[in-house]
This record gives sequence, structure tokens and C-alpha cells, in this order.
Amino acid sequence: MNGVLKDKKAFAVFLLPGLLFYLFSVFYPIVDSIRLSTMKWNGIGAPEFIGLGNYTKLFGDKVFYQAFLNNLIYLVIVVLMQLTIGFVFAVLLTYMKKGVSLVKTLYYVPCIITTVAVTQLFRNIYSTQPQGLLNGVLEAVGLGSLATSWLSNIKTALACVSVPEGWRYTGMYMVIFYAALISLDPEVCEAAKVDGANEWQTLIRIKIPMIKPILLLTLTMVMTGALRGFDIPYILTNGGPGNVTELLSTYMYKKAFGANKFGYGSAVAVFIIIESILVVAILQMLFRERDAQPEKRRSRR
Amino acid sequence: MKKKVLKIIFVAVILLFLVIQLYPVVWLFMASLKSSAELGSQPFALPKALVFSNYAEIFKDGKILRYMWNSVKVTAGSIILIVALSSTTGYALAKFQFAVNKKIYAFFTFGIMIPVQITLIPLFCFYSKVGILNTTASLILPQVGFALPLSIMLFVSFYSFLPNEIIEAGIVDGCSPYRIFFSIVLPLAKNTVITISSMYTILIWNDFIFANTFISDNNAKTIAVGLKDYIGAFGNVDWGRTYAAIAVSIIPPILVYFCLNKYVTAGMTMGATKG
Repeated sequence: MNGVLKDKKAFAVFLLPGLLFYLFSVFYPIVDSIRLSTMKWNGIGAPEFIGLGNYTKLFGDKVFYQAFLNNLIYLVIVVLMQLTIGFVFAVLLTYMKKGVSLVKTLYYVPCIITTVAVTQLFRNIYSTQPQGLLNGVLEAVGLGSLATSWLSNIKTALACVSVPEGWRYTGMYMVIFYAALISLDPEVCEAAKVDGANEWQTLIRIKIPMIKPILLLTLTMVMTGALRGFDIPYILTNGGPGNVTELLSTYMYKKAFGANKFGYGSAVAVFIIIESILVVAILQMLFRERDAQPEKRRSRR
Repeated sequence: MKKKVLKIIFVAVILLFLVIQLYPVVWLFMASLKSSAELGSQPFALPKALVFSNYAEIFKDGKILRYMWNSVKVTAGSIILIVALSSTTGYALAKFQFAVNKKIYAFFTFGIMIPVQITLIPLFCFYSKVGILNTTASLILPQVGFALPLSIMLFVSFYSFLPNEIIEAGIVDGCSPYRIFFSIVLPLAKNTVITISSMYTILIWNDFIFANTFISDNNAKTIAVGLKDYIGAFGNVDWGRTYAAIAVSIIPPILVYFCLNKYVTAGMTMGATKG
């Protein structure tokens, strides 16, 4: 970012439309959410200022705690699926000689399917009447006793709304990891092999540390993505049965647009944003600390 | 011998995952070609005979065409604005020499971690005050705003590769900064333009959350939300028609993807690796 043009007027002409648009559509809503979160407002009459009232109510709200916990479980399932499966298959693809681009292209397909279609597919897989794929497979392999009505069973519902989300973006993370892995300097891996490292050691000791920036980035993407998870649980179960699949976003949506509690909904929204920023900050701190160590070693030399 | 066994296992694993990723989509198209009765009795078998009446019926009722047209309007309007705004802002940030650029760039990249949900309540209130709920513009505004951070990052990273000498040569030849942008810089950024357009065409076409919040009028619904009408609307009996509607709705993104998949995945991976 080191340009040569100096014309101030032209600079403004190029910069301002984008900046103003961004300020209005992204930044203004953030500020306005914070403002609304201090109000009691049903969307019609005059909003009433109640200070931190919504927040104190929030921290005494049992459903909110449950939504928060559910969101964490959802996050763990989604992160594990997308990153571990995505990474394993990216590594496998680096050993493939023919057809890599075709396989990659096809793995990616679920990412481009609209949410309503994804949820409908999974509704069929989980369905009991007519028998869905999951129960059918369980019966076929002799585990018919495990068959259940997956989406209305309170023990399985949360996992069942998390899996489609994990499934759908696994291909994307695989593509990202693959791009990172094949862009590594092959000479470094060759050198490791000459030194007697086997494939596994090369992967753990050489390749993974070298793609650390990508790991940080994908981790950030998946985690902030999961914290704002909404579409699939909203369409599939809408938080139910009871509140077992309620996530923070679906809860915010229900409060604001279902119960017309715009102030309270905004407080939940502000909580989601703070949580996302915290996660990003913590991840960056963790990765920076580990990065700093090898540098110390180097300087000692 | 051991090597051969390993190779077979390897191929089997790759294929198994391929089935997991693709089977649901293939099944969807198969289901749309079955009669509802057959779907009920044998939902997972291959269709006995191809039934196209599901498709004929959803097109006869015309709703789906209206939904798709609404989606086309939102997607096209958003893409034009995204490209216009991010190519110019990126140019200002990458090729002008002002100290404030780094800060503005950081301000834009900050937007990547902002969840879209934060805008729903404020924009909903704003739209209902101004009276533009249920319009194409109400969807374009947030779509463009949230696409700007990544798009600007992609443009800035491309412009940074453009040597400043090209621009200096333009200045020497007496070109204005505007002329340099339109005749030299933008034509060179063609790939970035295609990357951003193809990636966001798919994302915006599929958007559910904005359309579900800001659109309640049937005439203004986009396909991603309109699909909900089909599910269960036929008394849970006519699944064939439901799947036909879903199949039709995912054909445009699939076409864009298979024609331009290099660009689509490049956009996602570049966005990730350049961050």
C-alpha cells in the first residue's frame, strides 16, 4: 500500500462512495444497535431509555444462558467437522496425482447450495415418517435400536442442527488448506526427508507450522461463523424442541421479530458482536505468543 | 503389495467422501423427477421413470419465476455496486499516497468479523420508517456493505502487485487519475472483478437472513426465501413439486460455479490467505 498519486480531489472521489456506503450499511447499524440495546421498545411507541436494564435482564435470563451453551456446543461440532475433516482431506489430496481439480470442484458443491435446500435434504435424512436415510442405514447395519426421531429428540436435536452446517462448508476449508499446502516450498519438505523425517513427521513438524497463518485465519472464520450461526437451526427446528437448539442468533431474532422486544434483541446482538471480537482477539494473542518464541530462539543464536 | 493396498484404501476414502458431499445433491435432483407416490414409498431408490410433471406444474403456477426474477434483481444490483465501490475504494487505498490509508484499510478489514445479524434490527427499523421494506434496495444495501471489506481487500492486494511505474508512465503521458483508473488499472483487474462477481453472485443468490427479515410481501420474495412456501405448502403430500422447486433454485448458482469455479474458489482462498 504505497501509492504514487497525490491528487486530493481524485482521492476523495475514489474513496468516499465506498467509505460512505460502508459507514451507513455496516457501521451505523452497530452504533444504532448499541443505542437500541439501552432502550425498552416494542417497535411502535416511543422507545424508553432504561440504561443497562436489558443487560441485567439478559444475565438473569435462563434461556439466554442455554442459548449461549448451545452455541458453544454448536461451535465445537462445526469447528471439529470443518477444520479436521477439511484438513485431513486437503492433506490426502496433496498425495493425489490425477483428477485433483475435479475432486476439489465436486467436494466444494455443498457450499453453493441454498440453505433451504440444505435443510430440506437433512430433514429427509433425519425423517422417521417416511423412514429417512439415517434410520434406514442404522437398521440396515443392525443398529435399528438406535433409530429415533432425530430432530424432536432433545438428546440429539442440537447435534442434528450442527451437522448440516459442518457438512456444508467442509469443502471450502479443504480448498483453503489445500491451496496453502501446495504453495509451500517443496524444497523444505525434501530437505526434511533427506534428514530422515517420514511423511507424518514432515506433516506435523514442517507443514503445519508453516501454514500457521492459515490455521489462524480459518479458525477465526469458523469460530466467528459458528457464533453467528442462524439459518439452519432457524429453519430446521426454530430453537425447539423446548430451547434445546436455541442459539444466540435465533434467540435474538425471536425476541426482536417474534416478540417485538427490539431493545432486548439488540442487547443480544451486541453480546454476539462482543463475543466475536473477543474470540478474534484471543486467537490472535494465542498465535502471536507462540510465534514470538521461535524468534527469541533465533535471536539468541 | 502393501503399497497397492494403501492405494486402494486411499482411493476408497476419497470416493467415500465424494459420495458424502455429493449424494444429497444428486438425491435432490433424483427426487424431483419422481412422482410423489414413488417418493413416499421408495425415497432413496433410483427413479423408475422420469417424471417431468413436477417441473411443469411449478412453472405453470408462475410463482417461482417471480421469485427468481427478484433474486436476479437483487443479485445483479448488488454485484454492480460491489464491483464499482470496491474497485474504486481499493484504488484510492492502494495507489494514492496518503498516510491515512492504512487506518482506513484497517477500518474496512475490521468489518470482516462483524456478524450480519447486528444490522437486522437497526435496518428493519430504518426501513419501516422510510417505507422501503419489501424492496430490492432494502436487500442490496446490507449485501453490498458486508461484501465491501473482503472485496476491497482483494482489490488492494491485486493493485499492490501492479507496479507503480505503470501509473507514473500514465502521469508522464498526461493522464488524470481518473483516466489512469479507467484505461489502465481497471482493465488489468479483470480477474479480480470476475472473482468477486462470481463468488458474491452465489452468496447473494443464496442469502436467507436478510430476505427473511426485510421481505414479507409475496411479490418481493427472493427465491431463497420463497422456497419455504413450497415446503409443506402442498399439504406435505406433494414432495415432488417441492424438490423440483428446490432443484430449479439451485441451478443458477451451480451453473455459475461450474463455469467459473476457478474464480469462485480463488476468491474464497485468496480472501483467506491474504488476510
